[in-house]
Amino acid sequence: MTTTTSTTRQATDPANPETSRAADGTGGGGASPRSGRRTWRAALGRPLAVVSLVYLVLLVVAAIAAPAVAPFDPADLDLDSVLAGPSAEHLLGTDALGRDVLSRLIYGGRVSLLNAAIAALTFLVVGVVGGLAAGFYRGWVDRAITGVVDIMIAIPGLIILLVVLAVFGGNMTVAMVALGVLAAPGFARVMRAVTLAVRAEPYIAAAQVSGLPNRRIIVHHVIPRVTGPILVQFSLFCGAALLVDAGLAYLGFGAQPPTPTWGGMIVEASTVMQQQPWLLVPAGATLGLATLAFALLGDAVRDATEERTGRTAFRSRRAPAVANREPVSVPAGDEPTPTALLRLRHVSIALPVNGALTTVVDDVNLDVEAGETVGLVGESGCGKSITASAVLGLLPAGAQITGGQIWFDGTDLTSAQPRTIQKLRGSRIAMIAQDPIASLDPVFSVGQQVSELVRRHHGGSRAAARTHTLELLANVSLRDPDRVASSYPHELSGGMAQRVALAMALAGDPDLLIADEPTTALDVTVQAEILELLQRLQRERGMAVLLITHDWGVVGSACHRANVMYAGQVVETCDVASMFRSPSHPYTVGLLQSTPHQATPLEHLRAVPGAVPAPGAWPAGCHFAPRCALAAADCGAAPIGLAEAAPKHLTRCLHHDQIARLEAP
Amino acid sequence: MTEPLLEVRDLIVEYPGRRRGDARIRAVDHVSLHVGTGETLGLVGESGSGKSTIGNAILGLVAPTSGKILFQGRDVTQASARQRRELSGHIQVIFQDPYGSLNPSRTIGHTLTEPLRVVHGLRRAAAESRVADGLARVGMPPDTVRRYPAEFSGGQRQRIAIARAIIHQPQIIVCDEPTSALDLSIQAQILNLLLDLQQQLHLSYLLISHDIDVVRHMSHRTAVLLRGGIVEQGPTHQITSEPSHDYTRALLAAVPQASVPSGAQS
Ligand SMILES: Nc1ncnc2c1ncn2[C@@H]1O[C@H](COP(=O)(O)OP(=O)(O)O)[C@@H](O)[C@H]1O
Ligand code: SF4
Ligand SMILES: [Mg+2]
Repeated sequence: MTTTTSTTRQATDPANPETSRAADGTGGGGASPRSGRRTWRAALGRPLAVVSLVYLVLLVVAAIAAPAVAPFDPADLDLDSVLAGPSAEHLLGTDALGRDVLSRLIYGGRVSLLNAAIAALTFLVVGVVGGLAAGFYRGWVDRAITGVVDIMIAIPGLIILLVVLAVFGGNMTVAMVALGVLAAPGFARVMRAVTLAVRAEPYIAAAQVSGLPNRRIIVHHVIPRVTGPILVQFSLFCGAALLVDAGLAYLGFGAQPPTPTWGGMIVEASTVMQQQPWLLVPAGATLGLATLAFALLGDAVRDATEERTGRTAFRSRRAPAVANREPVSVPAGDEPTPTALLRLRHVSIALPVNGALTTVVDDVNLDVEAGETVGLVGESGCGKSITASAVLGLLPAGAQITGGQIWFDGTDLTSAQPRTIQKLRGSRIAMIAQDPIASLDPVFSVGQQVSELVRRHHGGSRAAARTHTLELLANVSLRDPDRVASSYPHELSGGMAQRVALAMALAGDPDLLIADEPTTALDVTVQAEILELLQRLQRERGMAVLLITHDWGVVGSACHRANVMYAGQVVETCDVASMFRSPSHPYTVGLLQSTPHQATPLEHLRAVPGAVPAPGAWPAGCHFAPRCALAAADCGAAPIGLAEAAPKHLTRCLHHDQIARLEAP
Repeated sequence: MTEPLLEVRDLIVEYPGRRRGDARIRAVDHVSLHVGTGETLGLVGESGSGKSTIGNAILGLVAPTSGKILFQGRDVTQASARQRRELSGHIQVIFQDPYGSLNPSRTIGHTLTEPLRVVHGLRRAAAESRVADGLARVGMPPDTVRRYPAEFSGGQRQRIAIARAIIHQPQIIVCDEPTSALDLSIQAQILNLLLDLQQQLHLSYLLISHDIDVVRHMSHRTAVLLRGGIVEQGPTHQITSEPSHDYTRALLAAVPQASVPSGAQS
């Protein structure tokens, strides 16, 4: 897809390394953003690559400077010492006519390396130009080039090469150009694919709109992004070309004796193999090592290109040590109600960022009663998803709960065995995620996936599971459960996939459903249907729902109570009506005023200035202080505790009594 | 009536089918619209309804199958490369994806000055001062030019993308989902910025969005798109208060009501 843009607000949560990597813009996209020069530098950080490069450079330099460095003339005969082994005079021995092997090797490089270079340059030009043109211009250019490529890949290259040699009377230059052309289609295909990926990035379209000519865009903005694949393919082909050159010598083509070539030397050595097997070694090893060196160099470049994709997203952030501090005192009104199904108390979670543990969730209290829907509201990176994964026991590697307790129906999950949590997950606590299609296995049908879960939770026969599966699919208002059961995930629309994900979550009859941005990726009309469905299921099954969202509309239409999170903390908790009618934290007020829903058209929205600070960059006192219009000196002094703005209405703000000042125009 | 700044007449855009031999996909179907000077036309519809394709046709990024695109009365439907280069000083774009819309391996300064120098032939100093001015207008500090896109947050990158558009001194900007990838508080900042720039620079916008709240807040007139065709078009307050088409009504009803916490009453 090139111009289709998803209409989702991507909830990219910096507290979640998975999503934030994509958000960082370095992990997304097909080709690596690393430019050619940096790729080289990274590739040459490897010893093997350096050794390979040094070896190849030596070969080339020796060939160019042959008259100066070769100890003998390559054609000098010394019939007194034929087929001699290495000696002080002839370092690599002599051949059947008593010629110095080292000198012939050095001179032979001139012919063999030049042939390989001709083939490789042809390969490079044809492959890069063809692939870039097809990938960049698309349309008929692409169709024409792809058509030619398809045909060329199908024809037998070696036979064509031999025909060319026959027609041109054994002209090696022509043969090498032909070799480059014959090998280029595969390369062009790779180039086309990587070019298409870069081409699809919006910055290319932006460059076009800014009037830059296509040729300049290709040279300055596309090629630097695809140098990695170019270098890899080029390097591998150089090695192959050397081998083909030697192979043709075997068939009698190429420079004729007495002109030395590596291939010719191997041929000559093989005729006297019985008398002097050593003679095979110098040319064979030189050629073999050259091929190996090209391959190693290609590998190093490939690794260097891929490596950067795995880099973490947090590199620019400094990570201070975890603040080890006393739990903030909780006012009496915050004491857990005995019925709470899920109860988080003073939960803090830290993640490794650049090797240092950094707090990303800080002293969070959260209650979900049986059968109620509770919203967890906030912007990306506030810690919503990490909090949910802690409840599910699914924290990312290296993350740890550094304080507090998570009680689920009386069991403290922070001290429970992993087995206990695993048993709860899926049966009593279920989860649906933002991207429903990605959460389904593409190779199994919907029916197979749902019934597998049904059987795991309830046992029973295949037939019973099948019946139960169809009931579940009907229960999530899928109109034709039979048809849906036999379809595969890629055949589903986003809304259908989210219904299937819901059916799977319901397979274990959970008491608590955690829904992480369940409608964010869907169109508004579908979003409304899914929300309605969620509410119906919640009522019918008496299931509790923890609904994570950044959307006030979703909170307003689906939740009983809501918690607002900001920079790792829950800053306000109350029932939804009070939250809309009398928000008591400046951030809640700001977030509500940011929505254009009821604002006066064409006038300024009351936007909160600044942005959410990254974990590790939180201010010492109130996390919201730098953006807060009510901030006073005491706000930055010490961590802020929860205060009661009204019964059952908690706010993490010292000056909530002055909140009305924010409402005034 | 005076001549509109931008006019689209009976536009049809078809894409080739997915495989060879497949029927062509009609992404835009007989669309006509116009945008006046200083005016914002909102284009609202769900994903896949053809909004971006209309924008891309105006920008010359996709070729129309038929129909006309007029800029200041001039037919630019089949603009040559040279005319396109000239049009870049009149029509600009802001894309949704603030992560992909800047070349990750170039500094901001490089990306922003390049077209000014190459296309508009400005000298280095002139280009740099125009870029500095653009960045200042969108509220970015001067040292932005020396940094790489990865060093900025989504909201900052979108500001930079806006700067990149306005330094061409265009009359109209196609804003394709300009805030859809942003958080609520950042969206509010960017919408305010777009309103300010419209005032200061007398800009027109074609505002493409799936979010009817955003369109209602920002647009003088609104067109509602369904499966490639416009089902309703008119002054925004009329479209949102007395929608005449079922689909518009469905779109308006589907927006969950933040102010009416129905969930709290159940
Ligand atoms: N480059 C393309 N090739 C083929 N089909 C496309 C291409 N771009 C968009 N489409 C199709 O055109 C239709 C309209 O897409 P688009 O204009 O992106 O809609 P919107 O912006 O409203 O989401 C969709 O069916 C989409 O799949
Ligand atoms: S504690 Fe102070 S800075 Fe924090 S939200 Fe309240 S008034 Fe603002
Ligand atoms: Mg779009």
